Amino acid sequence: MESWDVVVVGAGPGGSYAAKTAAELGLKTLFLERGRYAGEKNSSGAGLGTRWWRDFPEIMGKLPYLSSYRRIDMIVIKVVDEENRLRLVQGTTGSDRDGSRWSGSLDKGMAGASIYRSDLDPLIADLAVSAGAELRTSTLACDVIMEKGTVRGVVTEKGERLRAEVVIAADGAMSTLARRSGMRGRWGGGCTLVPQIDFVCDEDKLDAVVGNAEWCWFGPFNGAYQVNFRESFHLGAGKWLRPDWDTRPPDMLRRVMEIPAFQKFCKVVEARPREYQAHLLPWLKKPPRTYTGGMMLVGDAGGFPCPLDGEGIWHACMSGKIAAETAAWAISRGDVSEKALAEYERRWKASPLGLEHSFGPEFVEIWDHSIFDPELMKRLIQLILELSEIHPFSVLFDWSDDHVSCLNRHLEHLFDLVPEFSEFGERYIKPLGAAVSPQVVKKALLQAKGKLPLLRLLPDQTYLRALELLNRRLGSRLKEAAGR
Amino acid sequence: MEGIDFEVKELVYRGEGDTGDFISFDPGRCDGCGLCVKVCSAGLWSLREGKARLAPRYRELCLECAACWEICARGAVDFSYPAGGTGVTIRFG
Ligand SMILES: Cc1cc2nc3c(=O)[nH]c(=O)nc-3n(C[C@H](O)[C@H](O)[C@H](O)COP(=O)(O)OP(=O)(O)OC[C@H]3O[C@@H](n4cnc5c(N)ncnc54)[C@H](O)[C@@H]3O)c2cc1C
Ligand code: SF4
Ligand code: SF4
Repeated sequence: MESWDVVVVGAGPGGSYAAKTAAELGLKTLFLERGRYAGEKNSSGAGLGTRWWRDFPEIMGKLPYLSSYRRIDMIVIKVVDEENRLRLVQGTTGSDRDGSRWSGSLDKGMAGASIYRSDLDPLIADLAVSAGAELRTSTLACDVIMEKGTVRGVVTEKGERLRAEVVIAADGAMSTLARRSGMRGRWGGGCTLVPQIDFVCDEDKLDAVVGNAEWCWFGPFNGAYQVNFRESFHLGAGKWLRPDWDTRPPDMLRRVMEIPAFQKFCKVVEARPREYQAHLLPWLKKPPRTYTGGMMLVGDAGGFPCPLDGEGIWHACMSGKIAAETAAWAISRGDVSEKALAEYERRWKASPLGLEHSFGPEFVEIWDHSIFDPELMKRLIQLILELSEIHPFSVLFDWSDDHVSCLNRHLEHLFDLVPEFSEFGERYIKPLGAAVSPQVVKKALLQAKGKLPLLRLLPDQTYLRALELLNRRLGSRLKEAAGR
Repeated sequence: MEGIDFEVKELVYRGEGDTGDFISFDPGRCDGCGLCVKVCSAGLWSLREGKARLAPRYRELCLECAACWEICARGAVDFSYPAGGTGVTIRFG
């Protein structure tokens, strides 16, 4: 029987990054992949955000040399009304006053990248192999070796028994290892299915029409993303796999493809559908148990994707890195028991990954009660459109009546809609108030004070204390702010 | 729809080799809720006399998404993967 320090199952981003880290720490490392090569079985949006530059610059620096790469500076949101008319186009540019959010060669905007998994996964797997890990492809792991309730290795479909001090399960959403070790069964409502179509198109025309942006489509039908690559793009839309599932997955995409603005776009860039993909994506309020004796779960297997936007590649690499570091630590102490590996959870909770999940329940509630409720979406879209109407130009260029009447009509519509959302806001948005940092609260309050001549006479601390006393509802936040 | 539409099975690519059986169905547990039929992109599940039925040719048509396994609350669907190195190839994922 072969034996290793670490056996990783899965050569997706999570598995490969774990294998790379383990090998760099001097551990004898093997990683297995069921595809003929890393990336063969995988599909994603796949957009990578700015934090990649901070955490994985060695990967970001290599992406521009890969064939599907497109640099991404912003996200453009397209809002469609009930009659499929495009009503609002809004771009995110992000504020970049001190440049601290961006690094690398990109100096402004939502600096990120779009990259196919068939480009990204082999790149990370190669980094692991260069670091000294051994990769076996076309190899399906089908079971764990269990001894006295502790995982001691994995069994492949050919019956090979591979012993390991520590096993890292990076085998994706339907983790065979998590199931076989008895850690969990189905996600039972916490997992989405994301159908996606790859369109091939003309590169120059895509440059001219979308440039360096990802697109999102929102409408009463719910939402869809459009990730743009060098000479192609993905259109995808997801939904939780629950008993209220009511459409065939390809029809979720057809619904977006019906939008005349999307059809026109396809015509202009000469797009045609090239590949259809469907993939699970866990989307949970928080990751469930992520370790057991002798084994840790990373990436999708552990339920790590972002609870707000479902992004999961960064989470897979981050959890893979932390799992490998924990493995090295546990092996050096000669204790890989469940109790020892609780260190993994402590570490990821203390990392940016833990922060990402600290408002998981709130983020999931917001989606759950908005985007998948067509009636609410219909009203929400009216609200967004109405809000976007209230700017000086809307009054100037609305020729449906005299300007004063137009303005009043806009306001009236708005005030009709606002109460409908107060309950939603109160219940699902307000809890996020706790996420606003005390420094920001303090800054806002002091700025407000600066505008009121009489209050300027009061010392800042006294002013903040007085507010704290007055406003019992916001009490705890103000108290913290006053304390800094 | 004008201009652009698609047929799922024309947009899926596969490698060579025998996948072996990788989905199993236990009619005893099935209550005929029909959810597997709705979530399958490839249309491989149908209902007959109050029970689900998996197309016999599923090995050549399945997308390996595992949605039928995840959605079935009765545990009537078991899913493992095709043999290593066989099955769907995602070229532009
Ligand atoms: C359609 C879609 C769009 C998405 N868009 C984005 C996006 O834009 N940005 C983003 O950051 N995230 C996105 N995500 C999420 C992201 O794809 C995942 O979170 C990420 O791939 C998780 O990485 P992983 O390494 O944990 O798992 P995976 O990428 O699923 O990798 C698991 C690997 O293990 C292999 N494997 C599985 N079982 C076995 C076994 N038994 N034996 C051997 N090998 C096995 C698989 O072949 C695979 O290579 C998207 C997901 C989907 C489905
Ligand atoms: S989802 Fe399960 S219980 Fe429902 S019809 Fe399909 S197999 Fe039967
Ligand atoms: S795995 Fe996906 S494509 Fe295959 S039968 Fe199940 S639902 Fe259909």
